[in-house]
Amino acid sequence: MSSVSNTRVPLIAPEEISLEDKKENEFGQLTSVEFLVAPKSRGGAPLRDPILDAPPYYVSVITYLNYLILIILGHIHDFFGLKFPKDKHSEIMERDGYAPWFSKFESFFVRRMKKRIDDCFSRPTTGVPGRFIRCVDRVAHQLNDFFTYPGSTSMCLNLSSYNYLGFAQSEGQCTDAALEAVHKYGIYSNGPRAQTGTIDLHLEAEQYIATFIGKPDVIIFSMGYGCNANLFSSFLDSKCLVISDELNHTSIRTGVRLSGAAVRKFKHNDMKALEQLIREQIVQGQPKSHRPWKKILICVEGLYSMEGTMCNLPKLVELKNRYKCYLFVDEAHSIGAIGPRGRGVCDYFGIDPSEVDILMGTLTKSFGAAGGYIGADKWIVERLRLDLTTNNYAEPSPAPVLAQIISSLRTITGEICPGQGQERLQRIAFNSRYLRLALQRLGFIVYGIADSPVIPMLLYAPSKMPAFSRMMLQRKIAVVVVAYPATPLDESRVRFCVSAALIKEDIDYLLRHVNEVGEKLFLKVSSGKAGGSMDGKPPRWDIEEVIKQTPKDCKDDKYFLI
Amino acid sequence: MKSLERVPDVLPSSIPIPSSVITVTSYLWFYMQRGFMNIPGAQYVVDYVAKSHQDDPYRTMIEIALIIYGIIYYLNKPRKQGEQIQPPLSLKEEELLIAEWQPEELVVQDERQNWRLGKVPVLAQEDDLGLYFTVERENGGEKYTGVLNMASNDFLHLSRKPEVVEVVEQTIRNYGVGSCGPAGFYGNQDVHYNLEYKLARFFGTENAVLYGQDFCVASSVVPAFTKRGDVIVADDQVSVSMQNALQLSRSTVYYFKHNDMKSLEDLLEELDQRERADCLPAIPRKFIVTEGLFHSSGDLAPLPQLVELKVRYRYRLIVDETNSIGVLGATGRGLAEHFKMERDNSIDITIGSLAYSLGSSGGFALGDNIMSQHQRIGSNAYCFSASLPPYTCAAALKVLKSMDEDNSAVRALHAVTKPLHTFFSNDRELRKFVVVTSNEHSAVLHLQLTMALRARLFGSTNKSVFDELSQLHARSLTNKYVEAWEQEELFLQSIVDRALQSKVLITRNAIALKHEALPIVPNLKICVNASISREQLLSACKIIKSAVLECCIAATTIAL
Repeated sequence: MSSVSNTRVPLIAPEEISLEDKKENEFGQLTSVEFLVAPKSRGGAPLRDPILDAPPYYVSVITYLNYLILIILGHIHDFFGLKFPKDKHSEIMERDGYAPWFSKFESFFVRRMKKRIDDCFSRPTTGVPGRFIRCVDRVAHQLNDFFTYPGSTSMCLNLSSYNYLGFAQSEGQCTDAALEAVHKYGIYSNGPRAQTGTIDLHLEAEQYIATFIGKPDVIIFSMGYGCNANLFSSFLDSKCLVISDELNHTSIRTGVRLSGAAVRKFKHNDMKALEQLIREQIVQGQPKSHRPWKKILICVEGLYSMEGTMCNLPKLVELKNRYKCYLFVDEAHSIGAIGPRGRGVCDYFGIDPSEVDILMGTLTKSFGAAGGYIGADKWIVERLRLDLTTNNYAEPSPAPVLAQIISSLRTITGEICPGQGQERLQRIAFNSRYLRLALQRLGFIVYGIADSPVIPMLLYAPSKMPAFSRMMLQRKIAVVVVAYPATPLDESRVRFCVSAALIKEDIDYLLRHVNEVGEKLFLKVSSGKAGGSMDGKPPRWDIEEVIKQTPKDCKDDKYFLI
Repeated sequence: MKSLERVPDVLPSSIPIPSSVITVTSYLWFYMQRGFMNIPGAQYVVDYVAKSHQDDPYRTMIEIALIIYGIIYYLNKPRKQGEQIQPPLSLKEEELLIAEWQPEELVVQDERQNWRLGKVPVLAQEDDLGLYFTVERENGGEKYTGVLNMASNDFLHLSRKPEVVEVVEQTIRNYGVGSCGPAGFYGNQDVHYNLEYKLARFFGTENAVLYGQDFCVASSVVPAFTKRGDVIVADDQVSVSMQNALQLSRSTVYYFKHNDMKSLEDLLEELDQRERADCLPAIPRKFIVTEGLFHSSGDLAPLPQLVELKVRYRYRLIVDETNSIGVLGATGRGLAEHFKMERDNSIDITIGSLAYSLGSSGGFALGDNIMSQHQRIGSNAYCFSASLPPYTCAAALKVLKSMDEDNSAVRALHAVTKPLHTFFSNDRELRKFVVVTSNEHSAVLHLQLTMALRARLFGSTNKSVFDELSQLHARSLTNKYVEAWEQEELFLQSIVDRALQSKVLITRNAIALKHEALPIVPNLKICVNASISREQLLSACKIIKSAVLECCIAATTIAL
C-alpha cells in the first residue's frame, strides 16, 4: 500500500524558456485561417435518433473472455494471497476487533484489476495544462504498489484536460486579472456567502454569467460537484419526482439522493421512453398512495462527458411544456464549448434559455477557473440563496478565480481582446470536427455528435486500455482511458478532450500515432454505419489521404450522421 | 370380434380407436425415440429414467408433474402479493388525468424571509492588515466605511503575508488559475501532492487527501466507508455538513447527548450488548462522529474521554476540525495538540478546511494510508470533481511551512481569544440577556439569547422550534416557515445592524433552518484574529455590548 512518504512527488521547478515559447506551449498560434469552422445553430431542430456502431461479434467475446481471465486470476491470487502472505492483505482483514475499512468483496475489482493499470491514472503533472502538459515521470514498483520519481518530466501533447477554450494559460489578460485580484482582495475568504464572504467580484461575475447564459439571475459556488450535490435538497422532497437520464453524473445522483426525492431513470437520450415514463408517472402518481406528485423535475446533461452525446433539447422542451414538468440541464461540459457563441446547449439548438428552468454549469472546464453556477429566474435564485446549504455554510469562490471567470467571459464575448474569443470558438469547432471525422475515416469506432469536443474512441477489451495509454505516453501524448464503472463493462474507451489551444498540426501528429497504435492493437473495427463512410462500406482510409482530405471535408455537415 | 385382432389387447375393447391413429402414433414414437437416441449422451438419460422408474414408478410421475409445474410457473407473469388487476386506462382517460395534474411551483416564494437577502454584506478590504473593511448592503443602498471586521473565518491572517502572496503570484504565473481536470485524470499536480504530504507531516498522520470545497468533505468521506448495517454514533449537535454525511451513509445512526460522555458510554454499552446478542457473521464498521469546536455553539469536544471510549468499544473516531485547526494547541495543530495527544493514534479521520485558519480554499481529510487510498477510489467529491486551483495549494503549503517555523500567529490569536471570552461571560449586565456557549479557546464567540428572554420575546424554546419544524417536514410542506425562529433571527439581525452603525461587523450564524435535522438555536458570531490588538478588541467589545443591551432593553420594554 502506497503511503505519503514514498509517493512524495518532487516540486518541479518551472522551465527556463523564452516568453514566446511559453506562450506557444500553452496556446498554439493558428497556422492558417483554413483551420477554422464557424459553429452553426440548429435553429430549433431536434437531434436524430442516435446510431451506435457495434463491433464485430468476436470483439465482444474477446472482451468478456478478457474479464473472465482477469477475474479468475484475481480469485486465485486472493485464495493463496489471503492464506500465505497474510501481512500483505491486512487492509481487508478484521484486526484487533476492528472491521476492515472496506470488505474483501467490494474491493476485489480495485485490488485485482484496477491496481494492475494504476500507472495509467493520476499521473502527476506540473505547469499549465494547456496545449502541452508536463507529466512528472514516475517508475512503478511491485505491480504499482508504489511509485518513485526520478525528478524528470515529459512534455506531452495534451488531450486529457478539460481546457476546451484554451484558457489554461499563465500569460495574457486572464492571468493579469487574476494577479490583480490577488493584490486587491487577497486569497482568503471571510466566511460563507450568506455570512460575510461576499465581495463585489462575486456580484460582478454573477452578472456576467447571467448575461452570458441568458438567464435573469445566477448564483456561483466554489465547487462544481458541491453545487449539484447540495442543490436538490433545497427544493425537492420525498413527494417530488426526479426523472433522470441513466448516464447522469454522480453529483446529480448524490444531490437527488440527499433530497429524498423519488427517482426514475430513462434510457440515455431515449425521448420515447421518457414520454412514456412521464405519462405513466403523472397518471399513476406516487407509489402506494397514488396521490399526484408535487412536482416532476427532468434532469439531463448538456453534453455527456463519457459519451460525447448531447441531450435532445428541443424534444425535451416540448415534452416539458406539454406535461408541465420542470427541466434541469447540467452544462458542465457544454458551456463555452458548444454553440455559435459558446453559450451552451440553448445556443447550439437555437432555443430560448427561458425554456429551461434551471441551467447549471461549471467554471472549471471552458473558463480555466474553478467552481460552478446555477442560473434561473430571479425569484427562484433568490429563494435558493436563502435555502442552499452551499450558500450558507460553504466557503465562497476566491477572488483570483472570480477574476479569471470574468476576464475569460469578457474575452469570449469580445469585450476585451476583440476577435480572440471568436477565434477560440472557431478553433475548437474545427479541431473537434477534424479529429472526429479523421478517426472515423481511419476505421475507429467513435461515439457522440459532430460538434462535441469530447471524443470517446472505443477500445472494448480492458487490457487494451493500459496498452493504449502507455503507448501514447511513449509517444508523448497524454490521454485519458476510462472503463467500468464509468462506462458499461464491455465498452472501455479512450477519451480525447479537444482544446482550442491545439493547432491542426498537433492533431495530425496525434492521428499518425493513433493510426499506428490502432493497427497494432487491432482497434479499427468500425462498420461505417455511424459515420466516416459514404458508401456503407467499412471505412479504412490511408492516413495520408485522411490528413489531406479531412480538414476540408469536416466543415461540411453531410459527412456526419449526427 | 374381427376388429380385436388388429388392436393390441392392452386396450379395452369398448373404446374404438381408428387404426390410422395408432399407426401414426407408433411411427411418431419410433422416430422420436430414434432421433432422441442420436443425441450424444441420450442413452444415459434413458437408462437413468428407466432405472428410476423400475425402482420407484411414482417418482417418475412426481418428477414429470414437477417439470410441468416449473414450465407453467416460468411462463406465468410475476405478480406481487396482494396486487390487484386494474382495468387499463383508456387513452382519453389518461389525457384527462394529465390535463388535470397541476404541479407546485419549482420553489415557493415567501416574502417574509426575503429580508435576509438585503442584509448580506459586500466587503472590500481597506487596510493592508485586513482588519478594516468597507461594507455595503441592500444592493449598495447602505454603505459603511472603516468597519472593523469581527466576522471573518480567516483567524490567523497568514495568507496575507507578503511571502505567501509572492508564492501565489509565482504559482499563477507558472500554472495558470484552474487545474482543468479531476485528480485521476492529470488534475493533481506536483503542488497538490506536496500539500498532501505537508498536511500529513504537519498533523502527524500517515496521509492526507485534498478536496475542492470544505463543506463537501464530510458528506463524501463518511459515505465512502459506511454501508448498510454499519453503526454511527454521533453527537446531537453536529453541523449540517456532517448531518448530510450521516444521511448519505446508509448506516444505522444513533445520537448521544451533546458532549455528554455518560450518555455516550451508556449508548455504546447498549449497542455492544446488542451486537453480542446478535452474533453477526462479521464485525460491522463502527464510528463515533463529533466536531472539534462545534459549528453551532463553539463547544469543545472532550477528546481524551472520547478516545478512551472508542478504544474500549472498538469504534473509529471521526472529528470535523473545520473550526479548531489553527486555533487550538500551541502551534495550531488542533484538538489533539490541545489535549497533548497524538493525532495518529487518537483520531481516525480528521476533516479540515483550508479556507478557515489556513486562509486559502478547499478542504482535506487526514488519516492512515489504507483509509486515504480508499478515498482516492471511493470518495465521490474526490473522484468526480476537479482538483483545487494550484495556487491555493501553493499558498496553503507556504502557510503551513511558516506555522512550522514559528507559532507567533497562533500565540497572537490565543492572546485575544481569552479576553474576548472573559469580557462577554463575566459581564453582569449582559448575563441577563445573553449566554456565551463557546469555549474560551475558540476564536469564534457564540452568543445566544437566554432561555427566559427567548420565551418572553418569542414564546419559543429549543424544543418548540424543532417540533414545529419536524411537523412541517412530516407534512411535507414545501415552504418551511417557523414564526418564532424568524422573529428571533430578525431580532439578532437588529443587534448586528446596531453594531454595524458603530463600525463593528459581527454576524448572525447563517443557518438554513430547513436543512437542520437536529435542534438548533439562532446565535451571533463574534470572531477574532491574530492581527487585532487588545485595545481594538476591547473597544469593539464595548460597542457590541452596548448594541446588545440597547436592543434587548428596547425589546423587553415593549414586551412589558
